[in-house]
Order: sequence, then C-alpha cells, then structure tokens
Amino acid sequence: MVKRLAIVGSGTGGTFTANFLSTKLRARVRAAEVQILLVGEGFRHHFQPASLDVAFKGAHPDSESRSEMELLKPEVTYIPDPAGKVDLENRTIFTVGGDVFEYDHLIMATGAEVSPQMIPGLAEGSVNFHTGPVNATKVWDSVRSFRKGKIGVLIAGVPHKCPPSPDEALFLLDEYLRHRGVREDVELTLLTPYPKAYPADRIAKVVSPLFEEKGIKVVPFFNVDSVDPSAKKVFSLEGDEYTYDLLIAIPPHRGTRVVRESGFGDEEGWIKADRRTMMVEGHDDAFAIGDATNIPISKSGVVAHLESKVVAENIASEVEGTGRVCEYNGRINCPMEVGGRRAIFVSATYKKQPSDQSPSLVKYAMKRGFGAIYWSALSGRWEWMMDAYLGQTSEEFVKGAQQSAPQT
Amino acid sequence: MSAPSTRRTVDSRGSFCPGPITDLFKAYRQASVGDVIELWATDPAAESDVRAWAARSGNKVLEVSKEKDFLKIVVEIDRKGR
Repeated sequence: MVKRLAIVGSGTGGTFTANFLSTKLRARVRAAEVQILLVGEGFRHHFQPASLDVAFKGAHPDSESRSEMELLKPEVTYIPDPAGKVDLENRTIFTVGGDVFEYDHLIMATGAEVSPQMIPGLAEGSVNFHTGPVNATKVWDSVRSFRKGKIGVLIAGVPHKCPPSPDEALFLLDEYLRHRGVREDVELTLLTPYPKAYPADRIAKVVSPLFEEKGIKVVPFFNVDSVDPSAKKVFSLEGDEYTYDLLIAIPPHRGTRVVRESGFGDEEGWIKADRRTMMVEGHDDAFAIGDATNIPISKSGVVAHLESKVVAENIASEVEGTGRVCEYNGRINCPMEVGGRRAIFVSATYKKQPSDQSPSLVKYAMKRGFGAIYWSALSGRWEWMMDAYLGQTSEEFVKGAQQSAPQT
Repeated sequence: MSAPSTRRTVDSRGSFCPGPITDLFKAYRQASVGDVIELWATDPAAESDVRAWAARSGNKVLEVSKEKDFLKIVVEIDRKGR
C-alpha cells in the first residue's frame, strides 16, 4: 500500500517540507511505496523578505520570484491548485479546482492571510509591503516621490509576519530619505501596540537609541481602531489619533481561508498545533508549520524552515519505523537591517529570550547572504551550513526511551 | 439598552513577551466598556507591560496576584475608542 504524504501550501515551509521528505524517502518514492504530494497556491514562489527591498530600495518586484516547479525535487508531485477545504476526520483534501486527494499524513503549510480590510479605512488609507511584491511597489512609488510631511509606519495587527519588519522599514526609510537630502523635512513615526520600539526588551535596547539618534518617533500602546482616509487620520482604541501624509501599514493577519473553511482553526483561523512536534491538536496524522499555526513564535521564514525539518524527520521516521522522534526547540533568527550596512539578529529559543545584540557589518552581510542563497537552500543543500550557524534547533530521542536530549 | 458586561479569561501561560500583552490586546479589541479581562501569564514582564498600558489608555488594573505557578492580572475596560 502506497503511503500518501500530502503537503498543503507552497510557500517556504511547504517547499522545504516536500524537498526534505523527498531527500529522506527517495528510494521509497522511486519504488512507488511513498507518494509526496504538494498542493500549492500557484506557479510562482515569492521570497517574501525581498518585499522590503522592493518597498524601500526600489528593487524590481519580479527579481525575487521563481517558478515553484523548478524549486521542487523530481520525487514531488506538484498540484498548482489551492486547497479549498481539508477534512481531517476523513483524511481528504478538496482543491478549489475540484480535485480530491486522500492522504495518510498531512502537513498544513498554508501561511497567513494579510487583510487590510479588517480595519475600517485601512485599505483605502494606507499602502503596505506585506501583501506581495506588487503592493510593495506601491510603497516604493509613494516613498520615492515623498518630499515633505509625516510618514507613519503602523502596526495594525499582531501577530504579523517578520516581527522586525516595521522597525526595519523605518531604518530603511530614514536611510533613503537622507540619501535624497529630504530627511529634515520628513517626520518618521512608529505607531505600535507594544510598550516600546520592539516587543522584546533586549532588542528594544538596541533599536530605541538608534531611533532617537535618527530622530524616529515612537507612539506606543497604539492599537488601531480605524483610519479616515479623507482626513488622513488614524485612530487607536486607546483614544489617540495621528495625522499622516503617508501611512505604511503592517495590516492585520489571520489564518487562511482553507483553514477557516475547514473548521479546525482557532477564532482567528490559526491552526492549533503542538509547539514542539507541530502535531495538530487531536490528530496524530496531521501537522501544521510556519505562519499557519497558533504557536506563540515569530511568523518568519526561519521558523517555517526549522519546523519543516522536524516534521519531515518525524514523518520519515514513522515511515521507516526507526522510532526516532525530533522536537523543535523554538530557535528563531530574524535579521533586521538598521541602516548604514549594519544589521542585528533577533535570536532566541522557547527557553532563551533574545540575546543582546550590537549592529554589525558582518550581520548585514549574513542577512544579504541568506537572501542570496534562499532559492538553492529550498532544496536542502545548505543544511550543513545552517546547522553550523544556528546550532541546536531540535532535540532528538527514541520513542519510549526514558531520557531525552538536554533541552535549550 | 447596553449589553451586560462580561468577564473573560485569557490564558497566556508559557508565552514570553510579547505573548501576554498581545493576547490582552486581542481581548481588548473584542471587549466593551465595563468588561473585565483576566490575564494569566508566566512571563514576569507581563505585569509592568499591562500596568503601563492601562495607565496610558485609561483602563484599570483591578488586581495582580501570584497564583501557584502564574501571575493573574485582572483589568477592567473603562475606555475604548474615541
């Protein structure tokens, strides 16, 4: 009987998972004992962090997009027809185009839906770089013609993808406006629901002095209520208001339609999953990774990558009957450019809060380097280097054994 | 006639900063004036974050107590919106 392994979602997590499973189970796929099916959103794969370059450096929107088929190993069967519904009880995927696929193991890598429409007036009153490269281009069009006035970067919902991106946007804006010689005429402000410029204390200790030095203002505890596009005002639930000339929003996020339609998400559509095994609550044959889950961890590419590795390891182990089990330790590593070719990394695990950081050229070069190797990394070829850099990202033990590896 | 006030418990145990305050904000978004939100957190930074937010936003911290293995922070929503 063929083991059917189905992945839903063709972003970073889904593509990594498909390729990891392919590497681990190649012989069994070739012997027709295992089938790896990836049900994806379409033909193109976007490198999402590049939207910052599109929005604030004028990079071309097509420069960081590739054909999904070219990124997948030959053992993966790709279905470029998004899933419309998943029935966990009957192990069945229904695509929007009408196809039906049954599975033995499921990995949900469906990402997040970014929806400015969830806040009244936000879609009409703001631009954003979280809804794809085309909209990131609209940010660039607004920024490059901006000469004088107030630019607000608004965190309009939490959690959101790439936690460093609002601060990074302001650093890049500051740098670009200085380069154009108009910085003195532009007021830059971060409107954030959090108490400080960055939610984690140790990162805020780096960002806040830099913001002060660069004249970037912070309005804390600003949970957006609504936007009045004609008056160019944004209002908070706390009763504050801010008048802008250009509003760049990080729109509210929620789980994707397929999860909401399938009825196994929480009230915001995030999939309830174990933070170490990524097993979907109540279903030992289904896993959820990356932005799609309700796990309290950064919604970022590195998390999707590391979670996919653990899930692929555990499914391959199940297929092979080795009894080995891996558990994710919550390792994150989110880069943030701070201008002047300097960057920091937000690095932590479930048990270790973000470490102290100082901006450096080396970290900037590493950030750009990770971006440059993204496409080839999706095949798994750079895992040796990632392992060396990231250190321990999971713990491994044998099912039923008394002792597990030390946890970090 | 206004809707009766409600009390809602938000379990943020095991979540590091900004988890607890993020969970509180989600509940605040859904709450009405007069509602009470009870936040459970294991992150010790939650208390100072919630107190600072309440002072800034005009809401009231009714109680902060140490339970067996978590912190219970009770907030009354006195102000929301313009």
